[in-house]
Amino acid sequence: MSAAPLLELRGLSGGYEPVQVFRDVTLSMEAGASIGLFGPNGHGKTTLLKTVSGLIDPWRGDILFEGVRLNREGARGRRASQNLNYDAFTGRRMDPRRVVRAGLIHVAQGNLLFPELTVRETLDIATLATHGRGDAQALTRTALTLFPRLSERLDQKTRFLSGGERQMLSVSCGLIAAPKLLILDEPTLGLSPKLRHELGEAVRAIKKTGVPLVVVDQDVEFLKSLIDTLYLFDHGRISGRIARADMPSHESLMRMLFGEAAH
Amino acid sequence: MTSETFLAVCLGGVVLGALYALMATGLAVVWTTLGIFNFAHGAFIVLGAYVAWQVGNANADGAGFLAGAGACVVCLFLVGVLFHWLLVKPFERKPNVVLLSVVTTLAGASILEGLTNLVWGPRSKQLDPIAAGDAQWGGLVMSRNELLMIALSVAILAAVGAFLRYSSVGRSMRAVAQNREAAQLLGLDVARLYALAFGLSASLAGIAGLFIGSIRFMTPTMGAEPLMKALIVVIFGGVARFTSPIYAAFVVGAVEAFSSYYVGLYWTPAVLFALMIVVLMIKPEGLFGKHERSV
Repeated sequence: MSAAPLLELRGLSGGYEPVQVFRDVTLSMEAGASIGLFGPNGHGKTTLLKTVSGLIDPWRGDILFEGVRLNREGARGRRASQNLNYDAFTGRRMDPRRVVRAGLIHVAQGNLLFPELTVRETLDIATLATHGRGDAQALTRTALTLFPRLSERLDQKTRFLSGGERQMLSVSCGLIAAPKLLILDEPTLGLSPKLRHELGEAVRAIKKTGVPLVVVDQDVEFLKSLIDTLYLFDHGRISGRIARADMPSHESLMRMLFGEAAH
Repeated sequence: MTSETFLAVCLGGVVLGALYALMATGLAVVWTTLGIFNFAHGAFIVLGAYVAWQVGNANADGAGFLAGAGACVVCLFLVGVLFHWLLVKPFERKPNVVLLSVVTTLAGASILEGLTNLVWGPRSKQLDPIAAGDAQWGGLVMSRNELLMIALSVAILAAVGAFLRYSSVGRSMRAVAQNREAAQLLGLDVARLYALAFGLSASLAGIAGLFIGSIRFMTPTMGAEPLMKALIVVIFGGVARFTSPIYAAFVVGAVEAFSSYYVGLYWTPAVLFALMIVVLMIKPEGLFGKHERSV
């Protein structure tokens, strides 16, 4: 029997009560492989990833990381009464701390991090997430060599950084947390082509250190350079799976998703 | 009026300012971290005074001031954590948490006030002053107790500020306050940090109560006035920085001292509220606040 997959989702459904955003998502990531998620905006990619990292409770289904179940067993606890507004005793199904401790690190979309903390303080907090998986000091140095711009700004507050620098800081935090699997949710969102290229190089460098990635992005060429398998995700479910070898161009992918009429 | 009177009024203002700074900082810690307003803060102040009285000098062979103060801080920290767990945490994920926690902390405040009344009775009590006697420079006379109170308040606030700025736990607390989701993604224990913020705030309230008990008579219902003053200070100064309510506390203390002397004791609340309304009209984010932040 082969080793357990790195990340496995089994029939995962979830959303923001009472709106279900995604249903029956099943996917399995082999150790060492990287995957990408591609799909239109507003179809639940971010919600799915937030569920995987434990920010939101899944409604049904299981999340397994290295063969270990991250969620608690059983269906999601429902309140006995709609009138009783008190949930001190309603347990949650997911604990984001457990996910981080397992080594699954999520760099959220457009994450502004902590506006009033300096870059140095933010990086210090990221080292707390390492949990003995790696040498936080060495990883901090790696992050600062990948993003030399950050080392010029160590004592600036995050709110004074540009959008690109904040994105670099977010990715650095993910790297410093010594991930076994790094989830990047639209790392190039809203960046200029030059910054996008710079960030892309850094992400490829992170991948080279042996960290598998889950990347969400709208740029197929960027995804192509990083991942082994591309999952198409729309209307809250996985609608296709494409291996790296036959990954289409941006144009034909758009046609696959939206049909000819979209152009 | 003589210059001695003027100086005495000034010093009175500084004493009040130190007290208000302790109360308002406690309130602001919870406000900025959890994003809710704790109406039980006044009840925490009263409870702190009574705990210190019970341990420190309930009778002739009381354990003394230091033991009273220690018991007050520890006990109030635990009460704060308990309040967070029972009254705030169950509603944390609800969309209307701000309104719900107003109601629950108000309920908690009246329960705590009732309990204080039940245990210690309505008769007023007083704590022994921390240090007896007067200090004197030239023509200026001031009680040692009040001097010590100012020094201790400043030292405690500096310690809390240093804790938030330089310690890893304090930094995590600020991080959670600024972006809860990002903090969760970095594996910070949000529930524990919230409870810690609540406990810290309650401890500060307890120390404020200890000081009030040593300069005034204390009754179980005395919490309303400090709560109101702390509210004025927080609105007045804003919560953009840790230090903004502290500056505002000294301004409010000075205004109160001067208006008590020159305008009249009964007009002081009116003067303070008028000032607050003016601040709200002209600079709604607070005198020392920043425009973009509205917690």
